[in-house]
Formats: sequence, structure tokens, C-alpha cells
Amino acid sequence: MEINWLGLASAAATFFGVWLGHVSVRKIEREVTRIWIPATLTLFFGIGLELASFRTSNLILSTICGILGVTLLWDALELAVRQPKRIKHGHAPANPHNPRHVQILETHPNATTIDWLDRDPRGVPYSSAELTSMKERSA
Amino acid sequence: MNWFGLTVGIATLFIIGLGFIWVIRGERYFGYLWWPYVMGVGVSCVIGSLFISNHWGSVLLGALGASLLWGSTELKEQAVRGELGWYPFWEKKILPPFADVIKKWKAPSL
Repeated sequence: MEINWLGLASAAATFFGVWLGHVSVRKIEREVTRIWIPATLTLFFGIGLELASFRTSNLILSTICGILGVTLLWDALELAVRQPKRIKHGHAPANPHNPRHVQILETHPNATTIDWLDRDPRGVPYSSAELTSMKERSA
Repeated sequence: MNWFGLTVGIATLFIIGLGFIWVIRGERYFGYLWWPYVMGVGVSCVIGSLFISNHWGSVLLGALGASLLWGSTELKEQAVRGELGWYPFWEKKILPPFADVIKKWKAPSL
């Protein structure tokens, strides 16, 4: 039986694309003040990879470029829209050293510097009193 | 023009999107302790994709496997999101076999 490497290539590109997007979007959005710059670069890089996937006749290369390109296009949306929204809702920690985040902290009451997800599950929901006390303790 | 990469990319985006849904729903009703099983199925899909001669079948199974692998590392954070009230919390979770053993292991989170 002949091994088909396309599946492994698509798996590697998918996992790497999702991991890179997940980690780098959080990191870049946290640090960069003018978020449109990395968002635009990501958008163009994604388009470039899609064009590369069109041009090559090699199926493995086309698969990798196609998957990474699409995930980068999604990352551009994450950087420009979805991650800032999470910061505003307090679902991701704001960076008090980033002027853009400072503005969000001032104008959105739910925005916080707490990383709520940096804990292990405990099996029962938190009460609103517990959440308030956790927020006060970190302030 | 080779349309294979773009169509594979769009199909993969759809599979990743489905991943968001099953992670949220799966964690709600089954809990995060299923992560080793999900990881095992993901690895099996990736290995299985090597032995599928059809290009589309191999690519989609590989992407599905990677999505399952990623999802297995997301279940822990999703459990915390549920406990924080960001998503509905379901108390009567269906725990996996050997849940007590798995509880002692550190759940992966990337």
C-alpha cells in the first residue's frame, strides 16, 4: 500500500495554522497599538499564500499554502475585530501598558487585566459574588 | 490555475469552524476529561489519512484529525469558560471511563 502524504501535510498545516493563529493573535493584539498594521500584513500574507497555492502544480505545496492562507485570512479578522471585542467584554486580559487597551479599560466596564482562563476547572460554576471578589482582589 | 489548495483551505476552515461547535457542546454535556479520548481519535485520523489513496479523503481526514487534536487541548479552557458563566453550564456531565485517573493528569492547553 502506498502512503499518501497529503493527509499528513493537511494535518500539519491545519494544526500549525490554528496554533500560530491562536497564540500570535493574542500576543500581537496585546502588544501592538496600531492593530490595523499587523492585521493588514496578515491579510496580504494570506492572499499571497492563496495565490501561491494557485500557481503550484504540486498538490502537497498547494494544500499547505491553501490551508495556511485561509487560516491567516481568518487571523486578520481575529486581530482586527474579534480579539479586541474579547478585550472589551473582559474575556481576554487587557494590557495596561498598551494605550489602545488603556482606552478600552476606561470606556468598557467589563474590560479587565485579569486572565480569567488562567486556572484549572473546578467542576462547579462561580457565583457572581466569587467573581466580584476575584476582580476586586486583583485590582 | 490549481484550485486544489484554495478549496482544501475553505473545507479546512469549515472543519475548524465545526471544531468550535463541538468543543463548546461537547464540553458542556461531557466535560473536559474526555480530552485523552479526543486526542486519540485525532491521532488515529491523522494516521488513517496516510492510508487513503483518494486525495480529498486523505486531506479531509488529516484536517479533521488536526482539528480534533487541537480541540482536545481546548476542552480545559472551555470548561473554565463554562464555570465563569460565559457559556451555559450543565451539571450532569457524562464522565468518560477512567475519569478518576484522567483527573490526576495535567490537561493540555496550548
